[in-house]
Amino acid sequence: MKAGLSYKKREQIAGGFNFVILLLFGLLLITPFVWMVSVGFDRTANVTMPFPPKLIPKHLSSFNFGIVFENGSLIKAYLNSAIVTVSSVFIGVSASLLAGYAFSKGRFKGKKVLFVVVLCTLMIPMEPRLIPLYKLFNSVHLLNTFWPLVLPSLISGMLIFLCKQFFDQLPDTLREASQIDGAGEFTTFFRIYLPLAGPIVATMIILAFIWSWNDFMWPLVVLNDKELQTVPLYLASFSLENGTSLGGLTMALATMSVLPIVILYLFLQKYIIQSIALSGVKGE
Amino acid sequence: MANNSIELNVQMEVEKVRNKRKDWGLKWYVFLIPSFLGILLFMVYPIFESLRLSFYQSNGTVEHFIGLANFKSVLSSNSFWNAVWNTFFIGIFQIIITIPLGFIFASIINSTKRGQNFFKVLYFLPNVTSIVAAAMIFAFVLHPEMGIVNYVLHAIGLPAPGWLSDPSTSKWAVIILAVWHWIGFVIIICLANLQAIPSEMYEAAKIDGASGLQQWFFITIPNMAGTFAFLLITGWIGALQRFNEVYVLGGPNGSPARSIQTMGAFIYERGFTGFEFGIASAATYIMFILILVFTFINLKVSKMKI
Repeated sequence: MKAGLSYKKREQIAGGFNFVILLLFGLLLITPFVWMVSVGFDRTANVTMPFPPKLIPKHLSSFNFGIVFENGSLIKAYLNSAIVTVSSVFIGVSASLLAGYAFSKGRFKGKKVLFVVVLCTLMIPMEPRLIPLYKLFNSVHLLNTFWPLVLPSLISGMLIFLCKQFFDQLPDTLREASQIDGAGEFTTFFRIYLPLAGPIVATMIILAFIWSWNDFMWPLVVLNDKELQTVPLYLASFSLENGTSLGGLTMALATMSVLPIVILYLFLQKYIIQSIALSGVKGE
Repeated sequence: MANNSIELNVQMEVEKVRNKRKDWGLKWYVFLIPSFLGILLFMVYPIFESLRLSFYQSNGTVEHFIGLANFKSVLSSNSFWNAVWNTFFIGIFQIIITIPLGFIFASIINSTKRGQNFFKVLYFLPNVTSIVAAAMIFAFVLHPEMGIVNYVLHAIGLPAPGWLSDPSTSKWAVIILAVWHWIGFVIIICLANLQAIPSEMYEAAKIDGASGLQQWFFITIPNMAGTFAFLLITGWIGALQRFNEVYVLGGPNGSPARSIQTMGAFIYERGFTGFEFGIASAATYIMFILILVFTFINLKVSKMKI
C-alpha cells in the first residue's frame, strides 16, 4: 500500500516536472512572436530598436500598424493571395477528387500504370520545372498574371493519393446499389460518394491552402508586377529593400501577415494537425 | 418460392450492371482528364524540356547546342560547389538537431496527461507561419546588436556572434531558423506514431519490471525507427530544396559572401537574374537527380503501397 502511494507520488512529481519543461520550451518557441508584436507596437523602433528588449514598449503606439495599412500594399497582397489560393485549391481539389475516385473505384485499362505515373509526380520537385514552365507561360503571354500560379495546381499527386486511399475505404456495394437504380458513373460519384467524402475534402482543402498560400519560388519567378504580389512576395520585397533598418515597421508588417493565419489555425487546429499528420504518415 | 425469384431478379440485375460496366470503361478516362492534362503540361513536358535545355546555350530566345558544356561548367564552378556545401551543411545540422529534439519533446507530451492538445497547438505554431515571414522576424531576432538572442547571450556572459552579418556564423542563423520552423512538424509526426504503438507492449514491459526509461529505450525507440527514417528523408529532401528563407535573409546570391547561397538560390541566380537558362537547367538536373535518389529511398523505407 505504502509502496503504491509513493509510486503514485513519484509519478505526480515527474508529471509536474515534465509539464514545466514543456511550458518553458513552448515559451522559448513563441518568444520571437511575442517580441515581434512588442517591437511592432513601439513608436520609436524604426530609429532605434528597443534595447534591452521589453515586453511592453516604452513608446506604446499603433503608429507602425497605421503605416502598414496606409499605403494599401498589404491589403492588396492579401487580396491577390486570396484569389490565387482559392482558385488553386478549387481546381486542385476538384481534379484530385475525380482522379482519386477513378483510381479507387474504376475498372479500366492501364489503371495501374497511370497510378504509378501519378505517384511519380510526387518525386518531381519544382526546381527542374522552373525554367521550362517560365518559358511556357511566357510563350502564351501569361507572365505577370495569376494563371501561372493557379493552373499548375491542377495536378497534385499527394491529393490524388490521399483521395484514392479514402475512397478505398468506402464499400463498392454503394456503387452497385446506385447503378441498379439506373444511375450512371458520374451521378453515382456526385450523389453517392462525394457527399461521404467530407473529411477527406476538408483535409485536401487544408493542405492545398497551405501549399498555395506559402508558395514562394514560383511566384517570385513569374510575377514582377508589384500590383500582383502575393503576401510572401510582398514581405520578401519589403525585407530585401529595407534590410534591418525599419524595425518597428517590419515587425508590424510581419505581425499583420502572421496574425490572420494564426487565428485561422487556432480555430481549425484539430483538423490542420490531423491533415499534416495524415500527409506525413502516408506510408502506413 | 417468392423469395427465390426476387433473389434471381436481383442477381440478373447485378449481372446486367456488371456487363454494362464493361462498356463504361471509357468513362473512367474522363475522370482522369483534368489531372493528366496537368501532368502532361506541368510535369512531363517541363522535365524533358529542362533536360533538352541543359545541352544548349540559351538565354530564352537564342539557343544553340553545346553538348555537355553546361554540365562541365556547373561541375567545375566554385560557386556551385559552395552552394552544395551550404545546402548540405544547413540541412545536416537542421536534421540532426531537430529530429532527436522533436522526438524527446513528443515523448514528453505523450507521457503527460495534462494539456496534451495545448502543447501540440503551441509547438506547431511556428510551422504554420510562412517561412518568408519567419525569416523576416529572425533577421531581427538574430540581429548582432539589437536582437533578442544576443541580448540573452550577453546577459548570461556568453560571446555574442555576428550571426547573419558574419559569413562564419550566418549558416548557423539559418539552422536556428530552420530548427525553430521544422520542430513542430517533427513533433506532430512523432506523436501520431507514438500513439500508434500498441499499449500492450508497455503493459507487458511494466509487468516485467521495466522502468520508464527502459521502456523508452527498448520499446519506443525501436518502434519509431520507420518514423525516424521517414523524417530523415523528407527532411533531407526539403533541405536540398531550401530557397525561401535564404533568399529573404541573403538575397539571390546568399550574402554575406555567398555563405548562405543554397543550390536553389544558385539556380535562381543563374536562371532568373543572369538568364543563363542552359547553365541553370544543368544545375537543376544535378539537383533533381540528388532529390530523386532520396525520394526513391523514402518510398522504399516508408513502404508506400502501389
